Amino acid sequence: MTLTRLLERLLQLIPVLLGVSVIVFVMMALTPGDPIQIMIGDQIVTAEQEAQMRRDIGLDRPMVERFFVFLGNAIQFDFGQSFYHRRPVADVILERLPATIELTIVAMLIALVTAIPLGVLAAVRKNSIFDRIATVGGLLGVSLPGFWFGILLLMLFAVHLNILPVAGRINYGISQGITPYTHFLLIDTLLNGRLDAFRNALAHIILPAVTLGLPMTAILMRVTRTAMLEVLRTDYVTFAQAKGLSRQRILWRHALKNALIPTVSVAAIETGSLLGGNMIIETVFGWPGLGRLVVESIFVRNYPLVQAAVLLYAVIYVMLNFFADILYTILNPRVKL
Amino acid sequence: MSADILLEVRGLRTVFDTRAGQVCAVDGVDVTVNRGECLGIVGESGSGKSVTFASVMGLVRVPGRIEAGEIVFDGIDLRKLSAKKMQAMRGRDIAMTMQDALTALNPALTVGEQLAEMLAAHADDLPPGRMARRAAIRARAIEMLTRVGIPSAGERLGQYPHEFSGGMRQRIMIALALAAKPRLLIADEPTTALDVTIQAQVLELISALRAEFGMSVVLITHDLGVVAQHCDRVMVMYAGQVVEEGPTAQVIRQPRHPYTQGLLASIPRPARRGQPIRPIQGQVPELVNLPPQCRFLERCPLADDACRHPIDMRPAGPERRARCIRITTPDIEKGLSHDI
Amino acid sequence: MSILEPTAPVEAESLFRRNMAAFMENRLAFGSAIVVVLFVLMAVFAPWIAPNDPYATNLFFRLQPPVWMEGGDWAYPLGADSLGRCILSRIIYGARISIFIGAAVIIVATSIGILAGLAAGYLRGWVDVVISRLVDILLGFPYLIFAIGLMAMMGPGLGNIILALAYKEWVIPCRVVRGETLATRELEYVEAARALGASGRHIMLREILPNILSPVIVVATIRMAHVIILEASLSFLGLGVQPPTASWGAMVADGRAFILVSWWVSTFPGLAILLLVLAINVASQGLRDAFDPRFTE
Repeated sequence: MTLTRLLERLLQLIPVLLGVSVIVFVMMALTPGDPIQIMIGDQIVTAEQEAQMRRDIGLDRPMVERFFVFLGNAIQFDFGQSFYHRRPVADVILERLPATIELTIVAMLIALVTAIPLGVLAAVRKNSIFDRIATVGGLLGVSLPGFWFGILLLMLFAVHLNILPVAGRINYGISQGITPYTHFLLIDTLLNGRLDAFRNALAHIILPAVTLGLPMTAILMRVTRTAMLEVLRTDYVTFAQAKGLSRQRILWRHALKNALIPTVSVAAIETGSLLGGNMIIETVFGWPGLGRLVVESIFVRNYPLVQAAVLLYAVIYVMLNFFADILYTILNPRVKL
Repeated sequence: MSADILLEVRGLRTVFDTRAGQVCAVDGVDVTVNRGECLGIVGESGSGKSVTFASVMGLVRVPGRIEAGEIVFDGIDLRKLSAKKMQAMRGRDIAMTMQDALTALNPALTVGEQLAEMLAAHADDLPPGRMARRAAIRARAIEMLTRVGIPSAGERLGQYPHEFSGGMRQRIMIALALAAKPRLLIADEPTTALDVTIQAQVLELISALRAEFGMSVVLITHDLGVVAQHCDRVMVMYAGQVVEEGPTAQVIRQPRHPYTQGLLASIPRPARRGQPIRPIQGQVPELVNLPPQCRFLERCPLADDACRHPIDMRPAGPERRARCIRITTPDIEKGLSHDI
Repeated sequence: MSILEPTAPVEAESLFRRNMAAFMENRLAFGSAIVVVLFVLMAVFAPWIAPNDPYATNLFFRLQPPVWMEGGDWAYPLGADSLGRCILSRIIYGARISIFIGAAVIIVATSIGILAGLAAGYLRGWVDVVISRLVDILLGFPYLIFAIGLMAMMGPGLGNIILALAYKEWVIPCRVVRGETLATRELEYVEAARALGASGRHIMLREILPNILSPVIVVATIRMAHVIILEASLSFLGLGVQPPTASWGAMVADGRAFILVSWWVSTFPGLAILLLVLAINVASQGLRDAFDPRFTE
């Protein structure tokens, strides 16, 4: 892929990102309730002070001007103050973001390593019992409400069997003395050489990650199966057989390499959908990430934070879709950008 | 079995189970391929010519299966081989090229990778040691590509199939099929997807390599012209059966079966300038629940009630056989006379 | 098609088995459609079916187990929640919310999507540019986040949920309709209508629309399952309909606090969601296979 083409693609993102920001801005600007009243809460302020606050955050300006101020600040990652935390919104978000990213990545990895082999096997043994089970599993995976499935898993593993923790990222006692190099607990615990803490963090993340990754697993499995079925019918698979290559080689190299092209781009898009799932799953499992923070912020009417988070999620989502596009062209030698 | 015979197929019957019923794609086919010869297989699509050789390769796809018959390659009954042993024979002893190289080459692997894995799977005289082995494979891959006429082969190993022209791709596919120096090459419609100018080059290449490697070639085609130029013997197939076989020159000069006559009459030829081209009327019958009678009956100008019986192959001259009851009757001589 | 066992023998009965399987698949889709209809009937006739008033609290029966467990009672077949309300009755009434919102969102979104898609695909030009840009921008949001943002802004409530979901949902039928329209507008019968002087509106609604309806219907049924889960998710987060209205998602959320002692409070409403969504998914897959054999593997 040429660099100019890549730049061109990046430029095409600008109107989309701009439109996304407009929508997020309007969404919050039209929110009923006076933000100043929300900020003041039950403090006693004079009308003078109130007017000053209004000027400070620019609420007295026209909408269009306010939008450009918002946009300019957003580009510099400045989303104003979180009244609730009495700290900049950006700081609060950055503090919670690693937990969300860690959960998302683990969920994605679980989905990838289970869905692809299952999809391949379902295609190879088409119409077998295995294929049937995979098909039913796939339908269940997209039909299960994540919040309910999470609760069922909690009831089974945390309450009934009592082998996994109910909530959180790590036990407080164990987490002490771990230097946060990356803020990803699974990595930090290892970097600190704390296997006990690693095991504890792993035990905490397993249920939320499985729950979060379930729909993605189901979708990826179906995509892999369909792509694989298509590839197995091609001439080049027959020719590979005629060349006397081993079954394993034909399957995992000749067929899968082609079948993965659609699978990987769907995977990138689905990873974006995990962001939405995060809000639910983090709430169910008490996971201290951004998703839960957003839900909590809605109820305390901490709108600047909600606004910033929605914008951030949307930008990440757009970038993931862009990435999926690029990945598709890289994986597919036939597509010249 | 004579020492000259490389491949002998007896009574092959390959069927496909479909919802509409059992399709008998190959019904009692006998094939003999001698060492070093080029055998042409001619027939329309659906005549069973490709399925016959997919059966030989052990590559009939589900829902198809071989129901009966013997496939003996160099004294080994292929149908009795384990899947593992059969896999080892494919590519090494019996190779195949397909109609369209664009779809037969894996689009996601470079030409070099596809050649290397072929050599790694079959060449057993490679030097020990990872590096030496890789170097030997690379050298041999370049040698093979050069042999089939790919210029600056070393540089092109890292390219993907779509980066080559159609003729080049066909050559690459031939290089792949012949990389392990097989004794039998099954070339399935090697020229159908190509321009006329490139067709000749590809066929010349196959002929040259046949002489060089001393291998036998089965040339599957629907083009009698190709057969006339390149094949020692020819076998004509129709609706899952062999209808005529014999030395190419004789079959073309004096076709015994009305179907072969029809095929020849439908080719435009300079020698027959001015005469109308006469296509065969009607269509190939559906291969489901065929009545026990001559399969060409519906389209045959010579057919009458005597043809409403199962017809066997019968001698039709020295080294020749045909599946028609009229071979010895004057009718067929009359049928022959007009356009040959 | 397993090509890797090249000469694997296929027994004669496998053909029978395959036909049976195809038959069973259709039966499965048909059965699922019946399940969906039963849910709809349950929602419509909730007041006659429900054994109890879904809003009547009775702290005496607080967290009462289902009938087959020790301490269970036929008065509350699936037990009672933390306020002593009948879980079965609330599930039956909850079907009204799920199905009403699911149907309303899909009807609104599909109508808008059809109009916008027809306009973009048939009129082309700036109309297409504007609509397609809007579609691109809306696709830039993860669905649930968009809906949560809107619910935060508009506050909870039945109408607001429908709006919050429909705002983004219309994009999906719109894309389908636009693509089909682009493919259809050049066909001969459309050309003929144009040559006869038919108006643009007539061509779009009378000539093109009837011919592209089947993929739209298939997509609408598949999306309905999705919308029901989204509504339940919003209700679970407390951003759905207002309590005490019975909604399955909110019921699951209510039970969360009691998973240590009373598993049934969360389990049954979730099971209802799963059953309905699964039935819609299976039925719509059958519909897709029947409507469009291209998709059938």
